[in-house]
Amino acid sequence: MSGHDSKYFSTTKKGEIPELKEELNSQYKDKRKDAVKKVIAAMTVGKDVSSLFTDVVNCMQTENLELKKLVYLYLINYAKSQPDLAILAVNTFVKDSQDPNPLIRALAVRTMGCIRVDKITEYLCDPLQRCLKDDDPYVRKTAAICVAKLYDINAELVEDRGFLEALKDLISDNNPMVVANAVAALAEIQDSSARPIFEITSHTLTKLLTALNECTEWGQVFILDSLSRYKATDARDAENIVERVTPRLQHANCAVVLSAVKIILLQMELITSTDVVRNLCKKMAPPLVTLLSAEPEIQYVALRNINLIVQKRPTILAHEIKVFFCKYNDPIYVKMEKLEIMIKLASDRNIDQVLLEFKEYATEVDVDFVRKAVRAIGRCAIKLERAAERCISVLLELIKIKVNYVVQEAIIVIKDIFRRYPNTYESIIATLCESLDTLDEPEAKASMIWIIGEYAERIDNADELLESFLDTFPEEPALVQLQLLTATVKLFLKKPTEGPQQMIQAVLNNATVETDNPDLRDRAYIYWRLLSTDPEVAAKDVVLAEKPVISDDSNQLDSSLLDELLANISTLSSVYHKPPEAFVSCVKAAPRADDEEFADAGETGYSESPSQGVDGASPSSSTGTSSNVPVKQPAAAAPAVAAPIPDLLGDLMGLDNALVPVDEPTASSGPPLPVVLPSTTGQGLQISAQLVRRDGQIYYDISFENGTQGVLDGFMIQFNKNTFGLAAGGPLQVPPLQPGSSARTLLAMVFSQNVSPGAPNSLLQVAVKNNQQPVWYFSDKGSLHVFFGEDGKMERTSFLEAWKSLPDDNEYSKEYPNSVISSIDATVEHLAASNVFFIAKRKNANMDVLYLSAKIPRGIPFLIELTAAVGVPGAKCAVKTPNREFVPLFFEAMESLIN
Amino acid sequence: MGIVFTRLFSSVFGNREARILVLGLDNAGKTTILYRLQMGEVVSTIPTIGFNVETVQYNNIKFQVWDLGGQTSIRPYWRCYFPNTQAIIYVVDSSDTDRLVTAKEEFHSILEEDELKGAVVLVYANKQDLPGALDDAAITESLELHKIKSRQWAIFKTSAIKGEGLFEGLNWLSNALKSGGS
Repeated sequence: MSGHDSKYFSTTKKGEIPELKEELNSQYKDKRKDAVKKVIAAMTVGKDVSSLFTDVVNCMQTENLELKKLVYLYLINYAKSQPDLAILAVNTFVKDSQDPNPLIRALAVRTMGCIRVDKITEYLCDPLQRCLKDDDPYVRKTAAICVAKLYDINAELVEDRGFLEALKDLISDNNPMVVANAVAALAEIQDSSARPIFEITSHTLTKLLTALNECTEWGQVFILDSLSRYKATDARDAENIVERVTPRLQHANCAVVLSAVKIILLQMELITSTDVVRNLCKKMAPPLVTLLSAEPEIQYVALRNINLIVQKRPTILAHEIKVFFCKYNDPIYVKMEKLEIMIKLASDRNIDQVLLEFKEYATEVDVDFVRKAVRAIGRCAIKLERAAERCISVLLELIKIKVNYVVQEAIIVIKDIFRRYPNTYESIIATLCESLDTLDEPEAKASMIWIIGEYAERIDNADELLESFLDTFPEEPALVQLQLLTATVKLFLKKPTEGPQQMIQAVLNNATVETDNPDLRDRAYIYWRLLSTDPEVAAKDVVLAEKPVISDDSNQLDSSLLDELLANISTLSSVYHKPPEAFVSCVKAAPRADDEEFADAGETGYSESPSQGVDGASPSSSTGTSSNVPVKQPAAAAPAVAAPIPDLLGDLMGLDNALVPVDEPTASSGPPLPVVLPSTTGQGLQISAQLVRRDGQIYYDISFENGTQGVLDGFMIQFNKNTFGLAAGGPLQVPPLQPGSSARTLLAMVFSQNVSPGAPNSLLQVAVKNNQQPVWYFSDKGSLHVFFGEDGKMERTSFLEAWKSLPDDNEYSKEYPNSVISSIDATVEHLAASNVFFIAKRKNANMDVLYLSAKIPRGIPFLIELTAAVGVPGAKCAVKTPNREFVPLFFEAMESLIN
Repeated sequence: MGIVFTRLFSSVFGNREARILVLGLDNAGKTTILYRLQMGEVVSTIPTIGFNVETVQYNNIKFQVWDLGGQTSIRPYWRCYFPNTQAIIYVVDSSDTDRLVTAKEEFHSILEEDELKGAVVLVYANKQDLPGALDDAAITESLELHKIKSRQWAIFKTSAIKGEGLFEGLNWLSNALKSGGS
């Protein structure tokens, strides 16, 4: 739209929609065009003009490109809200995709891709197919992207119509832009598919490397990012790639530079020649330095990436530390990142210069930055042994300034320095003690108290110093209390005189009787017992034991994570320093199961789960169809849980004794559990669980996986009333979960009187809560065989009697056409392991007939007759039981047992 | 009032665009007819999912001809195009005797539409080139055209492939519209 069209935004007339409708149907083209502009204007400001859909679509067939574009824009916006009417546009798309004007052909195919209406995708395949083979490269490159969009809507269709092959053909296109878009489309398709779709062979590699030099900057980024997935076969291959990619380092676009750096870093792993590697390192430095002269936001991204790069290859930027010196007008987030990198690059050679900088930063005004600078000095001291003394003297100078937060921060790092270099720098303790009364932050206080306790024998008035803290003991934060307790014990052990003895009495009393903090209380009791049993040997051995020396933590990422992050340079992953799966939820998602398949998943998921990967965790195993995946979809699970929510919530809020807070962790392992709460529902928390029976006890085997960004703790669990009255037999023991970590535990279950009325079912409705998230509800469909008791064995005679005494009405049978029994003995053994006991067997023609018994709680017996021919599919199970309502559950359980 | 004036003007000047719908079952030949009328040649067509619209000038009248897809799934949306329509060209595949009943039902349900009350109706008994095609009298019978009382109508034998009968029909139509419509 040209500039003066802004007037279309300012209509205030009433009845706008009918008026527009009339204008859209006007016989005059100009009027229609104006009307469409008005509609688009209304759409842009958020008015709902979807009711004009057909009228606007009717304006679609026009030679006027401007009008056509506007109608297409409208379509993209509203096709979703009018999926039925969208079909009216199909013919025009088909026509436009054959228009003599390539711009219109491309416009049509682009718009087609943006209309995400399932009903019409099928009609769009033919035009798309034509456009992929169009003579005009502009149309081809647009069509390539359209394939990726279509894949997102209907992957199957794309595969059936051979679009993937067409895309792969486009990699060999003679136009580099087409190649770049084909690569971008394939890469995107690959991202959403678990199967290998886009694999770069040596043939495509050559094509891509050739196209690289000629296409636009963003095309280069696509190609480079795809190349980074290529695994070079040997050093020569790698050198060849690097050689072709290296010129990209000079590109003005930061994304190109970073993508090129990524490839070079990855390929360098394979290159054996040290000369080549050294040369490459030299070449990578200047472009990285140049990134730091861009806008602050780009600097930040560059710095986060450089942070990773220097962890892997410190030599690249070893001589460039000066460019990471903070400028006074750098934004704080850039300064912080620069500090990190300065610490990483600090070496014996440049430490003097670096310390001068740090000292300067420590006198700036921004408190956070100052603190970080002081910490940086400490970290350099820990990292560089030979520079430690210089670092300490800088710290002491800073302490002399007597700026409160500088002093406190300095004390914190000096504590670390003492740990790193024991018995070297204790002479400065006196200086530290001078600023004792200015300390008001818990961490600084705790550090100082630790120092006093650790070096009590060298501080003459250690007891006085500690005593000054003791008065306020109850009010101190837990961190300080713990340190005070330990320091007092150390002091007592080192100077067992009267003063310390009184102190220790007071402290132990405070820490055991007065406090609510279990950690503090436990520690106090341990000290108490140690001191009362054997103060000389045991207590000293424990309390005054030699501590392991701490080490430099500036390269804190472990190498496998670092490699993964390096492979993702120039993406969000390398900025967050987190692997993509930690924050992108739908990457390589498992195929979706719909409602109907949910029912299957509930039944078969149980028996299949041990062999199945959980929720796409192992891409190789998730190639099966969706019905095999034991993932219960949130949409399907919701209705089942909807009803009991008020009840459960009431229980959770009330003080039911089954609800116990988390205390301490227990580890447990075993085959993967079926997912009962997918992370998409649990806002990142994934719960997998199932009921298991071990040694006559029913447990709820449950595992939590924290995919959120924060720590989750305080897990509690509650079970709704259920057929068997199952309830938690104790507290749920889950440790606080760090982001990305998981925990698994066995929760012992007990039978309570809280039995739900109605038809029996094996559904377990569970509520789980933690301190950070809302209460999660899910239902878990167990199998009856968990309930088969060890007391289910019957004598032959009593079996016969029982069988006869039950009326024939109570006999039910079911066929399992797919079950194959390969060996009678193995089956009997297997069933016995699940408490289905063998009683007798007989031969009937070629069939074996087994008689078995089982018993579930409340003394309900099952008398079983299992008929099957060895090695032939098909088994028949007949059962007699006084409680016929359990029969369907029983058959389900049997099915899972004999399969 | 406005409509009366435009009608008046149109009959005086006679060169405004008349809006015409081409309807009929799928595979009746609507799209072929449209392009035969517009370009005078036979184009190869695929089933129309949606619509085509072209302007055809004939006898000093500009026809804005809307060719709507005839598939069952699209027929419900015909009604979106009914407003302001001056004439309907209903195309029948004369050789498809099996579906004449369906064609008749669709035809009469269109005629009952309020928005099409004033529209002139022109029926093309198409595909006369095919062996076994019924003639116009038989089609008139099958479509029960005689039941139409309140509007002008006419039927023509046509073959879109050969270009026969089309312009005769259009001739009738332009005269019917010039004479003041319904």
